[in-house]
Amino acid sequence: MATTIATVSITSGDLTPGSPLAVNATSTLMKTGLTTGMTMMEMGSVDIAKDYEGQLFADGPATDNGAYFIYICNKSTDATYYMEYKLHETEIGRLYAGDWMWVPYNASDADAEVEVKGKTGINTIEYAMFKSAWTLPAAEA
Amino acid sequence: MPTLTPTLTLTSSDVTSDELNFSVTDSLTVTAPSQSLSTVVADTTGANTILKAASSAVTYIFIRHTGTTDGSTGTSQLLALENTDNTQFGSLKAGEWCFIPHLSGSLGIQLQSALGSIQAEYGYWTAS
Repeated sequence: MATTIATVSITSGDLTPGSPLAVNATSTLMKTGLTTGMTMMEMGSVDIAKDYEGQLFADGPATDNGAYFIYICNKSTDATYYMEYKLHETEIGRLYAGDWMWVPYNASDADAEVEVKGKTGINTIEYAMFKSAWTLPAAEA
Repeated sequence: MPTLTPTLTLTSSDVTSDELNFSVTDSLTVTAPSQSLSTVVADTTGANTILKAASSAVTYIFIRHTGTTDGSTGTSQLLALENTDNTQFGSLKAGEWCFIPHLSGSLGIQLQSALGSIQAEYGYWTAS
């Protein structure tokens, strides 16, 4: 079984006078049902133009509470560029230039989507999805 | 204004033939309100554990499932991440963490346990 490890460090030397912030956490990605070894990964990069709205990944399987993790980083360098993202057709947040996210995602039905929308400029984003299960799209006749 | 530096590192030597090993770092200028690292115990009603109310600024939220109900008793129950309209968009297993740049109109973020209680660790910082 593959082992994938996600580590975060959040630091600040000036957030609270006399008390530097240093948060560290590590976890090993697990499949649905606590089985270690998330073996499937999809990774790439794409440009998201202003006003473009679409799915970042193809529709997933109808896996009730399937365990997935999503990484998205807005690699744009213009500080005014940003994009919005939605999970399950619910707006969750924004990624400005340089921002990244690491969020678990439940593919609780085939319509549970990961959507992105460019708001300003052309946002170059890097993304990855770690999957518990996946079914390739059926061939078209 | 204070600067917050979050860094994500993903590693795997065997998920593909091409070894995975990369880090990404951001430099965020933050302002009030912020919540330093804290703990909270979520129960089976999401509205009882609202971590962050809606706001008009992006808030960077860190959440970790401690794997315990109270800091000492272990649990493997799932910790649901929800908007404050009770829409679940993900869940954390014991020991897992997430980092969410959040801005969702009139909705905040809340936690809900699948069963029993779950102690979570969290903090948030608002973009200036």
